[in-house]
Amino acid sequence: MRLTPRIALGLPPFLLAAALLVGCKKAESRKPGEWLVGYSSRDQSAEYTARLGDAVQARAKERGVRLVFVDAQADAQKQISQAENFIAQKVDVIILNPCEVEASSPAVDRARAAKIPVINVNSLTKSAPDCYVGSDDEQAGILAMEAIAKKLGGQGNVLMIHGIMGQSAQIHRDAGARKVLAKYPGMRLLDHQTASWDRAKALALTENWVQAHRGKFQAIFAHNDEMAMGALLALERAGLKKEVYVIGVDAIAQALEAVKAGRLDATVFQDAAGQGRGAIDAAILMASKQPFEKEVMIPFQVVTRENVDTFLKK
Amino acid sequence: MNPPPRPRLDRNLVHRFGIVAVLLIISGLLAATTDSFATAANLTNVARQVSINGILAVGVTFVLLTGGVDLSLGSVVALSGVACALFAHPGEHALIVPLAVGLLTGGACGLVNGLLVTRGGIAPFIVTLGMMTVARGLALILSGGKPVANMSPALTDLAGDLGPVPIPLLCFGVVALASWLFLSRFRLGRHLYAVGGNEPAARAAGVSVPRVKLFAYGLCGLLTGLAGVVLAARITTGQPNAGQAYELDAIAAVVIGGTSLSGGIGSVLGTLLGVLLIGIINNGLDLLSVSSYYQAVIKGVIIVGAVWLDRRQARS
Repeated sequence: MRLTPRIALGLPPFLLAAALLVGCKKAESRKPGEWLVGYSSRDQSAEYTARLGDAVQARAKERGVRLVFVDAQADAQKQISQAENFIAQKVDVIILNPCEVEASSPAVDRARAAKIPVINVNSLTKSAPDCYVGSDDEQAGILAMEAIAKKLGGQGNVLMIHGIMGQSAQIHRDAGARKVLAKYPGMRLLDHQTASWDRAKALALTENWVQAHRGKFQAIFAHNDEMAMGALLALERAGLKKEVYVIGVDAIAQALEAVKAGRLDATVFQDAAGQGRGAIDAAILMASKQPFEKEVMIPFQVVTRENVDTFLKK
Repeated sequence: MNPPPRPRLDRNLVHRFGIVAVLLIISGLLAATTDSFATAANLTNVARQVSINGILAVGVTFVLLTGGVDLSLGSVVALSGVACALFAHPGEHALIVPLAVGLLTGGACGLVNGLLVTRGGIAPFIVTLGMMTVARGLALILSGGKPVANMSPALTDLAGDLGPVPIPLLCFGVVALASWLFLSRFRLGRHLYAVGGNEPAARAAGVSVPRVKLFAYGLCGLLTGLAGVVLAARITTGQPNAGQAYELDAIAAVVIGGTSLSGGIGSVLGTLLGVLLIGIINNGLDLLSVSSYYQAVIKGVIIVGAVWLDRRQARS
């Protein structure tokens, strides 16, 4: 065949379409008795939600559930379309790891209107799902601030680094921390500011705080470990780490190593594996019409140098 | 061949007084209202913090001068940082390897941008928007979605100090000085202005427009790679999610500094002033404990206000 200009022009789109087709896994026909579950991840590029996604996939494989796994890439609009696709695919259960409290609600509504049971995992939506599997972020804030209060003996100044303002985790970790602060009249929130979950931003913020409040603060609570690691770097470079207690949330691998090495004081472990397992187990109960808990709470745990080894294995 | 007319850099500089005034006023206010702003420690701090945005802004100045734009800066920073970190594990390679890998990754992205703009004839906005998502995706693929840790101290020390001077600032200084000399003294530098100012005229004067543009995107990419390496050293990891929206701060700094978005007009000195203004705003608002919500509003108002003042002055 000669490569005429017309064919040559048609070639790139054709190759693109072919690549897309190869990229998609071929839908197998379902074996009898096998449940089909749709899972929409909030964002597979964020470490914690990626770990949660891995846990969901691992548990589904273990229990012989066929999983349709999609990534909403932090876009609620995309998540709603994905829920619609799940409905069209006639899945037995939909599991959402919601992007946003309000904006992801229509995804829950669509599923319920189609009479497909829906589970929210890790965070909430305004519309109530049939089941929620997650952890109470307020508890993370409480645990972190209690750890600080214990270390400081209820006396001292604290700085707090927020996640992205207005996100469910930021709101509740903040609320939990403030509840504890209210209990201790000797403790004061000297300053608080967002670093948007970002290590580089938290590093710059803490450098600025070292200039503004040098010698006046004894602890930093960061809403996640990425930011705690940024704060830690700034304090170490300023030679102030010994004077300041730093705690984060999530127990990412690097934070655990830093705790083990005695650099970071503590982190609060959020159990991705537990949440993923809980979500798939609940989905199987729902699909097979067995009784299920409407709310499955997976507890947070404080990780310090004493117990870090048990978490490093997970 | 007749050389294209030399750009009127001097006129450009005189008109930067608006920005200088805004800078001085804000610095004065901060010095008066905080104890910590006008200290050597804090000013070193500001210098360290502006270095990354500074390197990016100087790089993108080249692209903006040709009338193009580069939206992929932030993603390429992340990709270069991850690539660098992957080769920076202690005891595996000599220090030069991760440095070269980081820089060349950025340079390669820049060249691809440049080729698509010149050979492909696609608008820079679209090309670099594509690169923005491709580079972010590659950073996630290379890192498996997790920060690449365990970098050798030799590399992370690059975020430290050489005597009293932060090394990132040193990099920024060298880049800025070389770029300034290049744009004002070298023929290829002047060709950049010519291409952005009037492309058909430049072509008629014998300037190879595609080659000039390719050079601008390639150099911008290389400097973005450098910024990626410096950032990775600073946060001691290659972060696939790093650098979100860095292109906006960099482009804002360049435009504050008087570079025209339609090309042909601008200078590295102006870009330095823009970088400094953004850095001082970020530092000052933290020192003053301004709430996050207000920080965003104040920053936006100061940026637009400074450009408005500057342009009004330039017209009169």
